[in-house]
Amino acid sequence: MAVGYQPRIVGCLCNWCSYAGADLAGTSRISYPANIRVIRLPCSGRVDPMLIVKSFELGADGVLVAGCHPGECHYLEGNYHARRRFALLRSLLDYLGIEKERFQVEWVSASEGKRFSEVVSSFTGELARLGPRKEA
Amino acid sequence: MTQTISRKNLLSWLGRLLEERLLIAPTHTTGPTLFQPVSTVEDIVFDFDNTALSAKEWFFPATETLFWAEATDGRTELVPATVEREAVIFGLRPCDAKGLALVDKAFLAEPADTLYQQHRDKAVLVGLSCRKVSPQCFCTSMGTTPNDPTHVDILLTEAEEDYIVQIVTQKGKALLPDNLLVESEVVPPPPPSPPVVPAEGIEEVMRQAFDSPYWSRLADRCVHCNLCAYVCPTCYCFDIRDYESKGKIERVRSWESCQSPGFTRQAGGYNPRASKEARLRQRFYHKLLYFPEDFGAIACVGCGRCVQVCPVNIDIREVISDIQKIGGRNVP
Amino acid sequence: MNQQLRDKAKELLERGTVECVIGYERATDGSSARPLFVYQPEEADRLIFDQTCTHNLVKYLLNKKDKTTAVVVKPCDSRALNLLFNEKQIQREKVSIVGVVCPGIVETGWNQVSQTLQGRCQRCRQHTPLVYDFLVGEPPAEEAPPAEAYADVAEIEAKPLAERQAFWDEQSKRCIRCYACRQVCPGCYCSECFVEQLQPPWVGIKIAPPENNMWQTIRAFHLAGRCSGCNECERVCPMDIPLSLLNRKLEKEVWELFEFQAGLSAEAVPPFATFKKEETLGIGE
Repeated sequence: MAVGYQPRIVGCLCNWCSYAGADLAGTSRISYPANIRVIRLPCSGRVDPMLIVKSFELGADGVLVAGCHPGECHYLEGNYHARRRFALLRSLLDYLGIEKERFQVEWVSASEGKRFSEVVSSFTGELARLGPRKEA
Repeated sequence: MTQTISRKNLLSWLGRLLEERLLIAPTHTTGPTLFQPVSTVEDIVFDFDNTALSAKEWFFPATETLFWAEATDGRTELVPATVEREAVIFGLRPCDAKGLALVDKAFLAEPADTLYQQHRDKAVLVGLSCRKVSPQCFCTSMGTTPNDPTHVDILLTEAEEDYIVQIVTQKGKALLPDNLLVESEVVPPPPPSPPVVPAEGIEEVMRQAFDSPYWSRLADRCVHCNLCAYVCPTCYCFDIRDYESKGKIERVRSWESCQSPGFTRQAGGYNPRASKEARLRQRFYHKLLYFPEDFGAIACVGCGRCVQVCPVNIDIREVISDIQKIGGRNVP
Repeated sequence: MNQQLRDKAKELLERGTVECVIGYERATDGSSARPLFVYQPEEADRLIFDQTCTHNLVKYLLNKKDKTTAVVVKPCDSRALNLLFNEKQIQREKVSIVGVVCPGIVETGWNQVSQTLQGRCQRCRQHTPLVYDFLVGEPPAEEAPPAEAYADVAEIEAKPLAERQAFWDEQSKRCIRCYACRQVCPGCYCSECFVEQLQPPWVGIKIAPPENNMWQTIRAFHLAGRCSGCNECERVCPMDIPLSLLNRKLEKEVWELFEFQAGLSAEAVPPFATFKKEETLGIGE
């Protein structure tokens, strides 16, 4: 793997929990790798699987979807639906040659600033280990 | 007296050609036989009926960039795409060659399509006569024959161990060195005879048949995919879209088909061919009436690919026969 | 069986129960079949049913939503019917279902009818349609055990990563975006397919990878838990792309994750319309 390879991560964060959690990491001055580009959405249930696949097509090395913990969704059920969709999508992507490890779904609450930074650090490290995604 | 080339010389000539030019010939793929660039003559398939897609994709590619545009320092720079490499299309059947000549009528009419023109200018066509006829063939009803040299630069006809060579154009003469050719007493084998489709006078009958309920009945089973148009040597509809990325624009042209449900959808949402009937009828009218009216020939070469590939057996030969009958003609 | 079919069609048309009967007739090659739309009783004598009748006729019902129609269905097609009833795309009362007991369909194309059963038929576990108003044909006395359902999917799963990537890249390169797969599929009925959307431009018009990958992947994903397994998509593909390897991978996963199979009932709750609070499915653990 080339020295200096920086994985590019697309992060789809839900506004009410995980985005707030990321914000908290920032205000608490907890640093985490800047490899992640955050997209704020109302809910993890709004994350269209097409967004994930498109991100990989456009060159993302990894995609992270973060939402509220099950039972705490601001819209009550969005993350339950997301969970089903993404369990299946992970499996499909792996079958197609995009390793399971490149697509992570995590539950991060608004108070979990430190956890958010840990999630991103660990994901970035994992992607650095895997190397760049092979382009079609 | 005819001129022939031995198979050995043919292969060595092709081997030399592919070092200087793009040599495109029928090859096996993990799917069907297709015209593809070859890097070695061993990859060329000689024993084939016809390729799944016609050779038109090498002149009018499925996807092609037309130009790039970029704004720098307030100036917009437009960089048109160009065709650089000289090419040889080897193994072209006379029907496909006629197909190119028909697309020429549309694309080379003033103002000519610059990219298509460049592809045509830079390519030499080496045709291969058909030894046998397949069940879907009907070229002789569409103005060509299995050994028609008219639209190629060189035509090869298999005869026993060798190939009879007809040099048709200057381009062909320049490509194939005389010293590879041998004078011979070999007589060209008679071409095979495909079944006849009663296409004579179809234009006049079509003119009267526009409002016939026949089209609606036929359209019932059409699924409106793009297959017939994409495999057809004479279909040339396309879509154009601009791709923008970081201030650079790339204008791309890709194949499209009049059968697509949204093909004629206009800004604002109105679609003059929203119905299945209208779209299916359009295909046959373009081929059998409009193109003849505009350019003087039926836009069909009798290759039969549409017949083979249609998932629901919409068969142009049957349509021609049915329409003739509707027009009162006594045909089989 | 042909006579039973023809008589039933005549009866439905003569009584005015339906305006049209959708079935099969012989194609122009004299050996394969093609869909037939019968509007008059006297045309019903063209109807046939045999091992070349591969088409899924259920798709056509979506063009006849306001009409009463009879449709000939095989077991796989009947699963598509259940899907469309479930998704409220067609009304049960408007459809007269003529089920046929299916002996299995052979590999067939224009002028290319073989004796070999299609892969989907070798794997098939249902010879009688799941839903019908009338049944034509006798269920067989004995049946050969079906072939393993996911052997070929498992083969791809077992390939190392680089080989899997190469395999799917190869399929993506060959695709010419003719959309025959989409057009014959009863599950694909969106008035504007995602691939035609300009805002946002999910997939462009380039007939090339990686857009082709996006096309194939998302279409399969949109059919997850909905695909009836009729395999028409794979049959009509002009480039011999093994699409069922995608659809059946998802079918297998949907079964393993949610214990759901598409088309078994018109009333079942689809897997993505529901959830279990306590399930984890390997996410967020």
